[in-house]
Amino acid sequence: MGRISFFLKEAFGSLRRNYFMTIAALVTVFLSMVVLGGVLVFVYTTSALLSEVEQKVEITVYLKTDPDPSQEQIDALQAEIQSWKEVKSSTFVSKEEALNRLKEDFKENPEILEGLTGNPLPASFEVSLVDPKTVDTVAARFNGNASVDEVRYGKEIADKLFTFTSQARNFLLGFIVLLGIVAVLLISNTIRLSIFARKREVEIMKLVGATNWFIRWPFIIEGVTVGLFGAVVAVVVVLVLNSVLIGRIRDSLTFMTVPLDAVPYVSVTLILLAVGVVIGAAGSGIGLRRFLKI
Amino acid sequence: MIKFEDVTKIYPPSTVGLERVTLHIEKGEFVFLVGPSGSGKSTFIRLLIKELEPDRGRVSVGGRDLATLRRWKIPYLRRNIGCVFQDFKLLPNKTALENVMYALLVTGNANHDSKKKALEILSLVGLAHKEDSFPNQMSGGEQQRVSIARAFVNHPPLLIADEPTGNLDPETSMGIMQLLYRINKTGTTVLMATHDREMVDRMRRRVIALEEGKVVRDQKRGGYGED
Repeated sequence: MGRISFFLKEAFGSLRRNYFMTIAALVTVFLSMVVLGGVLVFVYTTSALLSEVEQKVEITVYLKTDPDPSQEQIDALQAEIQSWKEVKSSTFVSKEEALNRLKEDFKENPEILEGLTGNPLPASFEVSLVDPKTVDTVAARFNGNASVDEVRYGKEIADKLFTFTSQARNFLLGFIVLLGIVAVLLISNTIRLSIFARKREVEIMKLVGATNWFIRWPFIIEGVTVGLFGAVVAVVVVLVLNSVLIGRIRDSLTFMTVPLDAVPYVSVTLILLAVGVVIGAAGSGIGLRRFLKI
Repeated sequence: MIKFEDVTKIYPPSTVGLERVTLHIEKGEFVFLVGPSGSGKSTFIRLLIKELEPDRGRVSVGGRDLATLRRWKIPYLRRNIGCVFQDFKLLPNKTALENVMYALLVTGNANHDSKKKALEILSLVGLAHKEDSFPNQMSGGEQQRVSIARAFVNHPPLLIADEPTGNLDPETSMGIMQLLYRINKTGTTVLMATHDREMVDRMRRRVIALEEGKVVRDQKRGGYGED
């Protein structure tokens, strides 16, 4: 107990004494964490946007016309589709509804539809999937079905979209790793500088017979304190900026629903705090290592 | 207490620190280590606290062969060797009292006991009134007395002083010598490296003279130069 309070006293005493170094280290941690936090928020939001785009992949199953399939056939097909576990939902669009939609689409220039006699449009199922990547498998099942005329799901577009989203995810992940490394190097370097300034002190402690851990603890407490404080301020800044900026983006991107709640605030907070503390402690411990070899 | 057997230390590439030094120092002795700069005095001392390893030969302290001492045990060796240096090596951000206490706290002494012991030893070296002074608020002689207090506060069996009077005027040096003499009287072996001819001649103690890393003279009650 007495030892812990001694270490704490040592650590805070030297944080106060070397206030210039303390501030330099705090600012470094803060800036690195803001950048890292900003990227995290960006990644979470982008990732949510990507999933939303992926969800838009749907299969449209056009049924035969001339003759139109009977109500029994339609019901049977509907039941079959809904029994597949890949399917999230399926909506039946009747011939009449299809025509209504067409009229709605062309209501600015109704003359286009004037020549239309009867209803040539096919009925259809709109099938959305649990995992959009199963689209090929599900679409293939309609081949050879007697009442199905054509299956459309924009195969090429879907393929391109999935390639793009997976590349985008890999890129974002790489970006986070890279930034993490930059943050670690930057912070541990700053801490190393502050330790270097106290090389002589460490040397004296060794000569008096202090064990490495006796010397190390106060430094580690210093590192953790700086890491924690820098990260706390960074968390506040990142979260406030996030809510302000996303609000603005949402106002300007009205054609897309920006998922405001895509960012898991608790995770981001915990990640930043943990990274701050771990880097602070590790930076001190590693920075000290070469001076302890006396 | 100290045994050097055929000890050689070369600093790369080829600077001789010590060359084939063999000597024994008994418990309770007061020994001067003399010789010009670069003769190997500091190498001798740094080998004793295992700050350096010999390239050949064997160094043992208190019957313990230092070559077999594990790295993590070095601090425990150093707690049994008080060290006093020419440049005092006091922690600049700690008061006289805290500097002395530090040597006690590292050994696991409780804060309260440490303070009591540190105050006692500070008054022993005549600095009770300076307990709250920082090193830069004290004279060289005072700082050296604090450093001796720190070296002696654990009552180590061996005290090493590397040019302890090198930065001090003759009168202050005398005081420091008396202090070391008194410490020696308590049974502590004292090894002092020095340039101070007058002091060595006056004390008439064992003198080991080094030159270019070799022992050139080892006299029971010697002077600084040849008699």
